[in-house]
Amino acid sequence: MSSVKEALPKLLENNSERNNSVPQGIAAFKDSYVGINSLAELATSEDRVCVLNILGGESRTVTPISHVYSGGNIVCGTMPGRSGSVMKTKIGDIPVYNNISEALEAGHKFNVAVVYVPPAGVKDSVIEAVRINPDLNKIVILTEKISLHSSRIIRQFCQLRGIDVFGGNCLGLGDALNHVRIGGALGGNAPEESMVPGSIAIYSNSGNFTTTIATYLQTAGWGTSVSFSSGKDIYIHFAAEEFTNAFHNDERSKAAIMYIEPGGYYERDLEFEKPVVCCIVGRWKSNMTGACGHAGAIAGAGDNAIEKEKWFMKKFGVKSIFTPDNPECTKKGALVTNIAHIPEAMSAVMKKNSVEPDFEPKGDLSLKCWLASSNDVGLPKELDVQPEEAIAPYNEQIENLSKQIGAVLPRQAMKDTSGASMMDPKTQVSRLNGTSVLDCSTRTFEENLVMALTREYPDSNGRELANVVLNAFVNQNGTPQLAAAQAAREAENSPNTVLSSSLAILGPKSALPARKAVDAFVELFGYAKIKDVSNESFDVSSQLSKAQKDELDKIFLSEKESPRAKQMEKALKSRNVKSIFISFLQELAKKTGTFVNEDSLLAAASCHLAWMPLMKKGLTLTTLRNIPWHLQIYSAMIGCSVESSEQTKEAFRGVDNQELMDSWSFTETAYLAQIGQRPKANELLDFSILLGLVSTNGPGTITAQGAKGAVSADGSEVSERVQINKAYVGFLTHAGYAHGGNGYEAMEFLINQFRKTNLDNPDNAKHNLDLEAMAMDYAKEYKIYKTDAKAKGNLSYAKIPCVNHPVFKGEDVNYDPREVFVKDLFAEKKSYNIFLEFYHELVNALYKTGVSRNVYCVNIDAVIATILLKMLWRPFMEGSFSEKALETAAFSVFLYARMIGSAAEIEDHINRGRNMDTRTAASKCKFVGQI
Amino acid sequence: MQITGMYWGEKLLKYVDFPCAEVLKADSSSDELRALLDRCGSIFVKPIFKGGVGKKGKSGLIGHVNNVHDALKEKERLYFAKHEVGNQKFNSNGVTFEGSVPAKYEIYVSITDDTRFRAPTLTISHHGGVDIEAQGSDKLASAPFDPLTGLNGFVISNLLNKLNAPNEIISPLVQNLPKLWDLFHNYGMSMIELNPIRMMPNKKGRLVPVACDFKCSFDQDDPSWKRLNLPADLFTTELSNFEREVNELRTYQGQSDVFVTNNKGSVTAMTFGGGASSLVTELLGDVGTISSDFGGNPPYEKMRKISSIVYKYWLEQSNVLFIIGGKANNTDIYETFRAMGDALRDYFNTHGPKPIFVVVGRGGPNLVRGLGTLGETLDNLKVPYRMFGYDSSMSTVIDYAKDIDNWMENEGGKESIAKTMGIQPENIAVSKPSKCA
Repeated sequence: MSSVKEALPKLLENNSERNNSVPQGIAAFKDSYVGINSLAELATSEDRVCVLNILGGESRTVTPISHVYSGGNIVCGTMPGRSGSVMKTKIGDIPVYNNISEALEAGHKFNVAVVYVPPAGVKDSVIEAVRINPDLNKIVILTEKISLHSSRIIRQFCQLRGIDVFGGNCLGLGDALNHVRIGGALGGNAPEESMVPGSIAIYSNSGNFTTTIATYLQTAGWGTSVSFSSGKDIYIHFAAEEFTNAFHNDERSKAAIMYIEPGGYYERDLEFEKPVVCCIVGRWKSNMTGACGHAGAIAGAGDNAIEKEKWFMKKFGVKSIFTPDNPECTKKGALVTNIAHIPEAMSAVMKKNSVEPDFEPKGDLSLKCWLASSNDVGLPKELDVQPEEAIAPYNEQIENLSKQIGAVLPRQAMKDTSGASMMDPKTQVSRLNGTSVLDCSTRTFEENLVMALTREYPDSNGRELANVVLNAFVNQNGTPQLAAAQAAREAENSPNTVLSSSLAILGPKSALPARKAVDAFVELFGYAKIKDVSNESFDVSSQLSKAQKDELDKIFLSEKESPRAKQMEKALKSRNVKSIFISFLQELAKKTGTFVNEDSLLAAASCHLAWMPLMKKGLTLTTLRNIPWHLQIYSAMIGCSVESSEQTKEAFRGVDNQELMDSWSFTETAYLAQIGQRPKANELLDFSILLGLVSTNGPGTITAQGAKGAVSADGSEVSERVQINKAYVGFLTHAGYAHGGNGYEAMEFLINQFRKTNLDNPDNAKHNLDLEAMAMDYAKEYKIYKTDAKAKGNLSYAKIPCVNHPVFKGEDVNYDPREVFVKDLFAEKKSYNIFLEFYHELVNALYKTGVSRNVYCVNIDAVIATILLKMLWRPFMEGSFSEKALETAAFSVFLYARMIGSAAEIEDHINRGRNMDTRTAASKCKFVGQI
Repeated sequence: MQITGMYWGEKLLKYVDFPCAEVLKADSSSDELRALLDRCGSIFVKPIFKGGVGKKGKSGLIGHVNNVHDALKEKERLYFAKHEVGNQKFNSNGVTFEGSVPAKYEIYVSITDDTRFRAPTLTISHHGGVDIEAQGSDKLASAPFDPLTGLNGFVISNLLNKLNAPNEIISPLVQNLPKLWDLFHNYGMSMIELNPIRMMPNKKGRLVPVACDFKCSFDQDDPSWKRLNLPADLFTTELSNFEREVNELRTYQGQSDVFVTNNKGSVTAMTFGGGASSLVTELLGDVGTISSDFGGNPPYEKMRKISSIVYKYWLEQSNVLFIIGGKANNTDIYETFRAMGDALRDYFNTHGPKPIFVVVGRGGPNLVRGLGTLGETLDNLKVPYRMFGYDSSMSTVIDYAKDIDNWMENEGGKESIAKTMGIQPENIAVSKPSKCA
């Protein structure tokens, strides 16, 4: 169609069919009505405004600012059904009426209507406003997406009634010299920032660019007279032609900027009498088949960006586009295609006209980074731009932002939802704090325990620190929690019940002293800009003084020496742990002649481990304050799972407390708790893999649900009141013989297969057993059993544990990728497991004997069972482990592992959840009938 | 939202009783075709394309036959015909058989809103039937008319007189062309074009205008077209799944305009403002995946939904998530940035982390709060970022985003980011920027 337009002659000279009835406006326009003769008349201090739909979403924020900026030019507003309401502003209330008639009846007089009405109502609102208010001479339409149907009518109706219409989809009019803004939000919530008085008039198809260009101009010393956002619908009612005439007649405006987009012929025949810089953007839009953004910015062959560039180059007498490298311009103007080049182009054009800028340039448009994070990704130097101080007032706001310690997370309903864990439905691999459990399995227990809370793995120094602290509190001798555990154990409760009993005792009071110490550390070091918490050369002198002055030393220190604190300090030294917080405590103790207490050491360790994530806003302050409590619980979980008879004041399962702190990893301690001895390297590896793999199964797992429910019931919105120990009790009570205790099933199956083999070392690949034959024998036996059971109609016959998977099935040979990962890891570490090898023989045998139609996968549960059995095989065969003990150990190890995931889940829910957000609406609950 | 051809044209013109050529569907029997041939002498076989497809005749995609055998042969040739217009490719799905209308005169008529007149405008020529763009200006006339009174006969008659059109065609056109205004104005059209209208003599020898081809566009901001009961999928092929999903959120509150620029791009720009959209799309060029405008102060929920859709379709292949706009006037930066950040966290939670770099350039209300909240989210997700204020020119920020994209694509940046996020190398999606697909 546009090509057709090009082929057409200019034939509007005799446009008599349409214009006979149009009233005469200013003389310059004979065929249409235009009332504005000068830009000085566009937005004046005499204009009085009525805002239609004044209390609507957009107007509500914009109108009060316009009103205040313009010195109170809005006399009233309308909003159906809201008569009698007011819009509050800093300089007084604006009354609201149901409609314009009411407003007029109330005695208000206004000549401008600003339309915020939704698109379907715009046409009727305009007609009504014009029809009943004889004083009306301007209408500003902010509404977007007005139909062409409405626009046609509005145009013609207002032409016939002698009204200037601005928009639609515009951002209104602003006059910096008159200090008036009408309709829309030019300059946003701080109009003075961009509408700086000067001599340049802006006409822009883009509302945003009206403000942005005004801001850019200041960098070359130019202010604005008028800012006019024309809108870029198909119908632009007050368009380039009307603007240009008014610009010529405005003595205050020495030059103009025109930001023009493709589509429409509004600018083709313009003739300028003053300098103009035109920016045309949108060459690319010729590829588009529909409008994106501005409805009218869709062009044909004759009105695309390149054609428009030609129009303006001809007007300006230039042959090329102005760029900093090619500053071609004339006295008449310059054409740019990048708004960033506007200030320079304007200065160049004005220089040719011997006109000086309005004021000294303010700032520049170079790249200025306000906020940055590289996350150690190794950016090349030229891309690694560093933050610099932002312009006022933003610099202060950013400074305040940096004063906020830690992240603040928005709250939401967290039922079945987690920001800590997720399971990929495709791979069935779960992630904890972004780390897949496969990767967790390559980490130590203590590293995973720390990561669950801080969302980052500690470095080796942090790991050693964690080992000291966790081992320091593991021996539960003489504590009420151990007594409770023992009582529960003797009552033949399951391991999870035993541990629940003990953790119920570790209430808020037990964590209070360490939490206070954490608060004191935050007060002292919160803004210290520590870059490396291990760097003990960091100057803590100011913190030392402040601690003494504010009597914080009383929180950190004790008059009497605590034996445990003494042992911890010794262990820290022997492990060569470096920590600003620990050295600070020791320095403070030295200065005051007192002793560091164990709670402050616990707090110092917590701060050390969490400080950098906290400063990077990767962690909340709430979590930091909770960490000492979690660490105590970690230790108690391991400690209380050991018989009280195995714990003395000096030793834990026969190992001296000091030795544990000095040289044992917490993974080794956990192994000791269950197996009764220090693990060898390969045993430690297997144990770590097991704990990492089982750490989480996503928020849907029952243990996670238990923990989350406990947090939710306490009400996470008042995080201070959440009982973290009770949250662990929630996790523990949601484990049981079917969930956690079932690992034993597979072990029992394997024991039955291997009991009579005289296998003494499952780790030895040279075992002389024919696993293939064993597997075939069992498969044949199972086939007979299965056939027999089916023949008898028994469909609930015993299934072979740990083979097949609902997701990893259907191929000729199936694999569980998690099992494959671990098997490969074993191969890499040269760790052999006869039970796992047997399982692989078994799935093949089941296929060969026709039990299965394809080769089942060996699933992840097999990995868990085979690792456990491998660890416990010898003591079991030697008789030092009963079958019951075997079951308890399997269950307890599951609980240890799941403690990692639960800790993360608990913290996540405390920080993000809402009170009671895990409940299920009654409407979603089902009743299945009475017995 | 365009329609071309008489298959749907006939149905629309019937709403206003405008005479049309006889049209048969592809599944018409040989007897029906023979009867049409008996009545009309010859038949035009035309492929059916969804959307606005032009220049079919020039491309040899219109068959003109005078027997049933040839008609069926042309049907076979054109049923699944392929047609390329510029960058776009169209596939036909069906044909129409349109009876030829013997006529001495062929008329071109269109109505559209012409920006030179800021009014609905009639364009007419009595030398239609050919590529109208090739006609000289003396054979084409155009005039705006008053939308309050509609297209009156005298506007048509004046134009035809101006063109020295033969008297015998003026009266029938004056009687019939105003019907097109009813269709155009009352059913949400932005353009209607009939080319040709053939002036066929009726039994009394008087000329009757018969529409032989049809083209129209609908205004997507006017729901009136829904009253035409067109099938829901008629316009669907014009949009990608992504565009369609975002379009469902189209309301007057806040923009949600998107256009896929290169489905193999590697920079996904969430752009705010129509002007910014133009500039960003232009300067990003082929590395950009989409052109977008999310300005107009979208509420939090809408912004979060839009962001989720954008991430779902584009984040996997993107190196840079680019959030860019000028100094906003009324868009609340805090609300929109919070929404984009929350949607990103949702995406990571669902799909796992992705190695991306976020570049932001923005100004406006609640700016620092907005930057701060997004920064926090990105910190938590371990996503590296740079945020620039509105005192950095938008084009330099765009250049920076492109440089980051290049580093990620060609200099190992993506792998480096993936490593810090704990992503296995095999899980890194590869994007290869190419020419617009």
